[in-house]
Amino acid sequence: MTQLYEAMVLLSNQTVREDWRKAKGLVGDLLTKHNGTVKSLRRFDERRLAYPIQGNLRATYYLAYFEADGQAIPGLRRDFELTEQVLRNLILAVDAIPEGELAKAAEEEGADYTVPEPPADDEPEEEEVVAESDDEDSDGDDEDGDGDDSDDDDSDSSARPKKTEDATA
Amino acid sequence: MSKKERSVIGSKNCDDPIINYKEIEYLEKFLTPQGQILSRRRTGFCAQCQKQLKKAIKNARHVALLPFVN
Repeated sequence: MTQLYEAMVLLSNQTVREDWRKAKGLVGDLLTKHNGTVKSLRRFDERRLAYPIQGNLRATYYLAYFEADGQAIPGLRRDFELTEQVLRNLILAVDAIPEGELAKAAEEEGADYTVPEPPADDEPEEEEVVAESDDEDSDGDDEDGDGDDSDDDDSDSSARPKKTEDATA
Repeated sequence: MSKKERSVIGSKNCDDPIINYKEIEYLEKFLTPQGQILSRRRTGFCAQCQKQLKKAIKNARHVALLPFVN
């Protein structure tokens, strides 16, 4: 019995730099090799990894929706793991293809569509670093205000004078 | 506003139970600065939604969208 699956595949940027269509074809070929019917396959994102994988700090994510027999999935996972260009794979059973996914995949199929070359691993991302640091600060304040006892005391102590001021006012 | 009400991040009534591992910015709200998943008490989710959240975060960690440890 066939089931609809979603596959997220991480490819090394080196493979994508050589030829991004070929890299995409690599994922599609593996899916069809295991009697999968590919409904949509597109480049999801190129981003810095949360942690290094096989020495790679950045990677390209490919997202595929395909129909396949459930018994073919272990073999497909094994094939992904044995393929050197594939850093990670995640296959999940889904009920339906999300809205807009087919349109995005069709847009990528066009001949005019080009993918920017992935940046080098060691290239700094100033904007992201600033954004992350801002988020961390804001999160940290919230966490400190609610989480740790010592910081709770601080936040309470900072809040208490205000109350007294209000009361006096 | 009591301290307990302030500490809840997610919806108390689980209005948005569809949690996807690809929505990293949304999932990051339910992580501590160290990368740990917040408890139900902090997220405000029901048991079912908390399980979905846990699954989504773990899937996101597997594909390096989220860190295991910050």
